[in-house]
Amino acid sequence: MSKASLSMRPALQGYVLLAPALLVYLLFAVYPMIDVIRMSFASWNGLSAESRFVGIDNYRAVLTQDPVFWGALWNTLWWTALAVVIPNLISFGLALALNQNVPGRSSLRVVFYLPVIIASIAVATIWKWMYDPFFGLFNSLLTSWGLSDWIVDWLGDRKIALWSVFAAHVWQSVGFSMVLFLAGLQSVSLTLIEAARIDGAGRWAVFRHVTLPALTPTITIVFVLSLINSLKAFDIVYGMTGGGPAQSTQMLAMWAYTQSMQLGDFGRGAAISVILLLITLAVVVPYMRWMFRNPEDAR
Amino acid sequence: MRFKKMAATAASALTLAAILAGGAVRADELKVWTLTFDNNSANGAWTKIIKDFEAANPGIKISREGRSVDEHKAALRVAAQSSQGPDIYFMWAGLGLGGEFVKAGLSKPLDAYYEKYGWDKRLTPSAASFSKLYEGKRHGVPYTFHGEGIYYNKALFEKAGITSVPQTYDELKDDAAKFKKAGIAAFTFGGSVNWHVMRLMDVILEAKCGADKHDQLMDMKLDWSTEPCATASFEELNDWSQNYILKPFMGIDNSQAFKLFLANRAAMMLEGDWLVDQLRGAKKLEGIDLFPFPTGTDRLYGFAEYLYVSAKSAHPDDAAKFLDYLLSDKVQQESLGAFGSISVNSNVKYEKVDALDQKWIDIFGKYKKIYMNGDQAFPLDVTTEYFRVINEVASGNMKPADAGKTLQTFISNRKG
Amino acid sequence: MSLLSQAFRPVGSNRVDPMLVALWLALVVLALVWITPFIFIVFTALKSSDAVMNTSAFALPTEPDFGNFVSAWQRGNFSTTAFNGVIITFIKVPLGLFISAMAAYALAKVPMRFSKVFLALCVFGTMLPFQVMLAPIFKQVNAFGLINTYPGIILPYLAFGVPYQVFILHGFFAAVPKELSEAARIDGASHFTIFRRIFLPVSLPVLSALLILDFVATWNEFAMALVILQDPKMWTLPLGLMNFQSQFQSNYGELNAAIIMTVLPAAIVYLMFQRYFVAGLTTGAVKE
Repeated sequence: MSKASLSMRPALQGYVLLAPALLVYLLFAVYPMIDVIRMSFASWNGLSAESRFVGIDNYRAVLTQDPVFWGALWNTLWWTALAVVIPNLISFGLALALNQNVPGRSSLRVVFYLPVIIASIAVATIWKWMYDPFFGLFNSLLTSWGLSDWIVDWLGDRKIALWSVFAAHVWQSVGFSMVLFLAGLQSVSLTLIEAARIDGAGRWAVFRHVTLPALTPTITIVFVLSLINSLKAFDIVYGMTGGGPAQSTQMLAMWAYTQSMQLGDFGRGAAISVILLLITLAVVVPYMRWMFRNPEDAR
Repeated sequence: MRFKKMAATAASALTLAAILAGGAVRADELKVWTLTFDNNSANGAWTKIIKDFEAANPGIKISREGRSVDEHKAALRVAAQSSQGPDIYFMWAGLGLGGEFVKAGLSKPLDAYYEKYGWDKRLTPSAASFSKLYEGKRHGVPYTFHGEGIYYNKALFEKAGITSVPQTYDELKDDAAKFKKAGIAAFTFGGSVNWHVMRLMDVILEAKCGADKHDQLMDMKLDWSTEPCATASFEELNDWSQNYILKPFMGIDNSQAFKLFLANRAAMMLEGDWLVDQLRGAKKLEGIDLFPFPTGTDRLYGFAEYLYVSAKSAHPDDAAKFLDYLLSDKVQQESLGAFGSISVNSNVKYEKVDALDQKWIDIFGKYKKIYMNGDQAFPLDVTTEYFRVINEVASGNMKPADAGKTLQTFISNRKG
Repeated sequence: MSLLSQAFRPVGSNRVDPMLVALWLALVVLALVWITPFIFIVFTALKSSDAVMNTSAFALPTEPDFGNFVSAWQRGNFSTTAFNGVIITFIKVPLGLFISAMAAYALAKVPMRFSKVFLALCVFGTMLPFQVMLAPIFKQVNAFGLINTYPGIILPYLAFGVPYQVFILHGFFAAVPKELSEAARIDGASHFTIFRRIFLPVSLPVLSALLILDFVATWNEFAMALVILQDPKMWTLPLGLMNFQSQFQSNYGELNAAIIMTVLPAAIVYLMFQRYFVAGLTTGAVKE
């Protein structure tokens, strides 16, 4: 190989190195994305051999006739907004606290990070069991504290089901952003902090003028990562409620899956996928433009 | 050269994966896809049947794969497009669930085999009748024939002062009121699996609409929004769920509901004949009795499960041979009670059965006609909407008056 | 006391800061809340079904019963699902890292036309949620006849794992000083050699962090496996757990035993390697 490669032009060598990753990426990620757009203009039940071009029928059906779509869209947006804010605020607070000189820092860090490495489907199972209305943790705690009136059907009441699922999501996701923030805090210069202290700056001033500016790139990354992650909320909802009760916790990604893979309407499923893709792009494209303009900030 | 070594490792890993993937298929293997079974006797019976059949037919290997209901449906759909499919698959009978796969050409017509093996001579007519539902050809053979009725806790009935089982729907409602007065939940359902609460809606429809209208509603020939009995049924559903069902029920599933029934938390449960075996397993046969849901029609709530031969099977003759063995007097007699209380084979003798089994045998003997579960009558997408509407009404989020209209709007919007 | 003597003192101060003590207490309380589900799960897994229904949630299991683990292992078909998980993860993770590293090196260090385009395509890919496209991915895998096979799940895993890894490694390789590779180029070494001799060794910390990250992600992946692995014989642990949950929801002891057995391998791997993980993530993702 080394003999042959010597005679190979450098650029060609580069393409050889690039090829395997590029090939698998194009075949199994990029092509399906193009395919889903094509499918969204066709009618196909997954059983028959061919599909039929139907124009924008699928989109019209999804937008005007689907009794679940708008609820799922609303849930997805709502979930995304909350998932970007709430867990990350907790993570940020935890990271700041764990960056202080307190005993047992590393054990505490492990405790908060542990849920991250657990499969979402296991998190769903754990929390579903804790929410069990008759024998689960929450309702037995409420009973033993004499608060039986507070007992609710955590996953069966549409007013709170999505909140219940969200609580599990917070438990699971706080640790991930926390580690990123902790890593970002390593880059905050200690000398700068000390200098500020000596200059008589208070806690808040140090935080505001030294810590926060240094963390800006990290905050951006955390923001984008959790935004993307929450748009694809699937496992945890699938495992905990399956979209119920009465589709009230349905999400776009799962509804697209349900339409295609369970109801066999691949056209409508694809139309929902494309809509979710467009929403994702609305986030991704501005971020990418920003990143390629300021490559230093982005890393 | 480390690079070479790494490349070689990667390559050999891929080869290994390819071998592992390809090694499973053998020419004379029959794949049978069924559900997974909660009770071990069904699993045991299948294992024995397959073992005995393989011993008698050395040329044929059989592998059975079991899945939960939703996964089974999804997997079959997938199988329709790939070559990975089964030779024999389980599916409910009827135009809804079973019919969809027949319509898509996934099922092989079995007229020739019905003739060759003379299956009609040994199958009970009601169980076999479903194979003739499909236009033109006969599809599938009966695997089980199930009835659903009300199981009740005898002690709780006594406690509420109820001395005889209700004969009409109104009497049942009166009894429910008595339970409420006595502080006992009349029914337990698990709402997280949509089809469990649906059963209540199905039987109410039968009671409120009568046989003909009920059938027309399920055929989508009658308008749900204008038919008064449909709205009346949704009102009843709402009444039951607000007043007489053990709460909370939307967040639990059917097996949890069964646990609560066993723990005397509710007086009744609307379940199928398979529950007898589960009661036997839990050693709770003593305190429980059953009666058909009183609807005023002379039809039993129930359905048939079928085994179909895939049109894509490379060995349809072997598949038919296995089905013939499965339906034989000997096998059906041996595995009696494992799949359901009664056999689809009319030559089977019933001896040494528990009281509840006998109850079912009597019920099956009494009724000539049946009405099916909603999710087996409707196409899949309508079923999904039917579930949603039922859940909304049952949890008090949708007015019963709006329910029929919502469902009808969905039905009217369907293409073709 | 000597261990604690340095605690609670802010940077550059020798006095104990009461704010920090309060903060620490709050952290400990929150950590207890965070760990509660695990305790609850372990307790339930050790109880019989009757004990679950008749004792309080936090009652210690008086007669610890490991039978739940044995029967859940059998009923949940754990030997099959664990084996599949091992095969898939142990092939996918190293293979994916290797091809990603090659591609990242090519994009960072080999002058090529379009390399900016490829990189942009790659960054785009890191943000492409595959959960959105389960049906077309299924269709594509099916077109290759790979449904229910190891390659059928590994290939899409690779496709959606590559972008992020290339992105991270590209950032790392790009920061490696030019002189290091230029010298070798002048000596006549090919890019293959430079990649292998110089860049792979220096990127080991990043690679090991990515390895752990990818191991956990692959081991836990659910949605893609749900669509592609329809055959119970091919299921991975998360699919097995999901099926177990829908079948034996009411058998609380066994269900919790099944949860523990599903979760444990990833937890052990993480706890063993967390030191490298945090270090690697710091160098790779955020700081460098």
